[in-house]
Amino acid sequence: MALTAAGPAAAAKVKLDPGEWGHPAGADCVSCHEKASPGIARQWHESAHAAAGVNCMDCHQADAADVDAIEHEGQVIATIVSPKDCGRCHGQEYREQEGSVHAEAYAIIEARVPALAHQLTGPEMQAAGCDQCHGSQVRVRGDGTLDPATWPNSGIGRINPDGSKGSCSSCHGRHAFSKAQAREPDACVRCHSGPDSPDKEVFEASKHGMLYAAQRDAMNLGADTWVAGKDYTAAPTCVTCHMGAAGKVPATHDVGLRNAWSLNTPISERQYLVVLDDGAKLELPADAKPPKRGTELAKADGSTAKVKVVATPERRRLVMSTVCLECHSKTMIQGFMNQFDDVVELYNRKFGAPAAAIMAGLYDAGKLTPLPFDEPVEFSYWELWHDEGARARHGAAMASPNHAWWDGMYLVGRNFYSQFLPQARAAAGAQAAALVDVHIDDAADHAWRAETQQGNPILGWIPPAPELAPSVPNAPGTDAAAATSSPGESIAEEGGE
Amino acid sequence: MIRLEPPVFITRHVLFALVAGGVGGVVFMFFLLEFDRYTSSNAFCTTCHSMTYADTAYRQSAHYNSASGVRATCGDCHVSEGIIMATYDHAVGTKDLVKQLFGADYDDPAVNLLHLPKAAFNAREWFRRRDSATCKRCHTLEAIQGTRANTAAIHQEETAGKTCIDCHMNLVHRKVPSEQTFKREAWNTMVEEELGLAPGTAARLLAGEAMPEPRTEPAPATQLAEEPVAGSSGN
Repeated sequence: MALTAAGPAAAAKVKLDPGEWGHPAGADCVSCHEKASPGIARQWHESAHAAAGVNCMDCHQADAADVDAIEHEGQVIATIVSPKDCGRCHGQEYREQEGSVHAEAYAIIEARVPALAHQLTGPEMQAAGCDQCHGSQVRVRGDGTLDPATWPNSGIGRINPDGSKGSCSSCHGRHAFSKAQAREPDACVRCHSGPDSPDKEVFEASKHGMLYAAQRDAMNLGADTWVAGKDYTAAPTCVTCHMGAAGKVPATHDVGLRNAWSLNTPISERQYLVVLDDGAKLELPADAKPPKRGTELAKADGSTAKVKVVATPERRRLVMSTVCLECHSKTMIQGFMNQFDDVVELYNRKFGAPAAAIMAGLYDAGKLTPLPFDEPVEFSYWELWHDEGARARHGAAMASPNHAWWDGMYLVGRNFYSQFLPQARAAAGAQAAALVDVHIDDAADHAWRAETQQGNPILGWIPPAPELAPSVPNAPGTDAAAATSSPGESIAEEGGE
Repeated sequence: MIRLEPPVFITRHVLFALVAGGVGGVVFMFFLLEFDRYTSSNAFCTTCHSMTYADTAYRQSAHYNSASGVRATCGDCHVSEGIIMATYDHAVGTKDLVKQLFGADYDDPAVNLLHLPKAAFNAREWFRRRDSATCKRCHTLEAIQGTRANTAAIHQEETAGKTCIDCHMNLVHRKVPSEQTFKREAWNTMVEEELGLAPGTAARLLAGEAMPEPRTEPAPATQLAEEPVAGSSGN
């Protein structure tokens, strides 16, 4: 797989013969649905699909033997149009998204769902919450209906009745399937927003987002091809950096392909992208040598496949940086990436890794029950990496200072020192030194805590200045006067800046 | 005074036979009418326990509970109009009685549910062959207004070559897929899960074996209770 290969940078053209679509029954669907559900009929009428002669039946037709096939007004159809169905025409996009971090979104959290959704709240929340972004495992009941606990759903990692993973309509709104809509940052907002993944907020608060908002009219969003630097230059969107064509970088529907780091993990890792011979992909930590071509590797579902290609994190970073080149110089990109990497490494070193080690120690020593979320420190730890830590890292990745700092690393620090550590020590009891403090006491990052006499006007008080003038040996009252006056002065100075 | 002179072949015996036959015929017609009326009633149909399953779903449907108080009985939908066809339908229907007496144990909820799809397919075919005649006893295509904007237009413009049952399946009884897309395996699994049966029990029950082992606890909320409106015209 040539990540930066030269080639057609535009969206892939459908190569199928037009004789493959234009199902004869489609006109009947449209005629009735113009009356029964005029909204979707109108959307379709105005779509590129309609213009090309692709009708309802071309996407919704099913084989009677399909698990989710139903008879509808004399036609055998399926409600769900899976990526595999879309892939009949849009083969390249289907193959790219297959195995991407998007397509695996359900698999990634499947093991976490019971603890959070079922126990902490209730199973109802899985359908209304988790699954709406991560996708549901759609269940077809014996009477042919789709289980309402799993449908409707357009989560991006949906496990479809035909076995395919993903949901194109997660980003491409039915039934208009507008290019412009999918290129908007708002195409991502349903899931990439909120406390744990505030990417919409991060983007909007960044210079990129500011420029986009101001110059949206110049974005050429509806253009046939949409190559950054060629078809538009006003600002980048989510798509631009993560999927879009730019210069010689081809567009891709593997949205995680250009990500060098894992940012939504307790400890970030630089990661290999391993492409397997069956089309599946794996992300492996890049702390070991890359797996050799032809090696047999186990996938998340337990099956194995052979390694076809490995992209190193450096390679992935290079692709992302190549997109930046359309507007920025090499040195600026390099500098920005250094700042980003530094934040991730700081988070890992100072908070992520020690917190993970402390939690592991508490579990190993039986100080915490294995059951998640039955002890306060488990919430603190979870939010440390999953919410605050993720915000800090995403803020740094996409240049939103407020998310990197106030909504991010500041809260990480506050949680770590004022919540996580005290709770961990309380859980460890007499063994606090051996189970908790051992992980931070000798670390240079945490040494500042020992300098308890170091003052700073940030909280409105600094310790009295040491006696300076031995020439005035007996002047009682001088020290006290200095001490009382200095805080006021400090505040005034701060306020004046 | 006029004196009637009957033809010579009208003998006293013939006259007697005519009168007796006439009276007998009228009595028989009344009997048939009453017989068809009674055997079309809900009370008669649910005499058999096996029919109470269909009844449960029916009682949740709009054909039982309508705002206007119009209530369709079993016979209104499942028995043709007119004494000849009604009698014919009842005559054919005696096969159900025979099956009830000598066939599978349809009174058992599992056996009943396992056979429901076949009954639904037969019922739909019955409606289709008659061009949904019993629907049209009450519903007039030209008069359908509906409550949504375009219901009338859909019924005027989109129904060529179609009969009511083609679109309006699963109105009254428990939902059954169309015959074309029906999956026996999936249906059996659903029945087993719903009634707390061991996997494989459904296939054995269908093959005519008696209930193999004592049942485990049925699932607390059965599908029937959850989804009573969905259903098909099983007879």
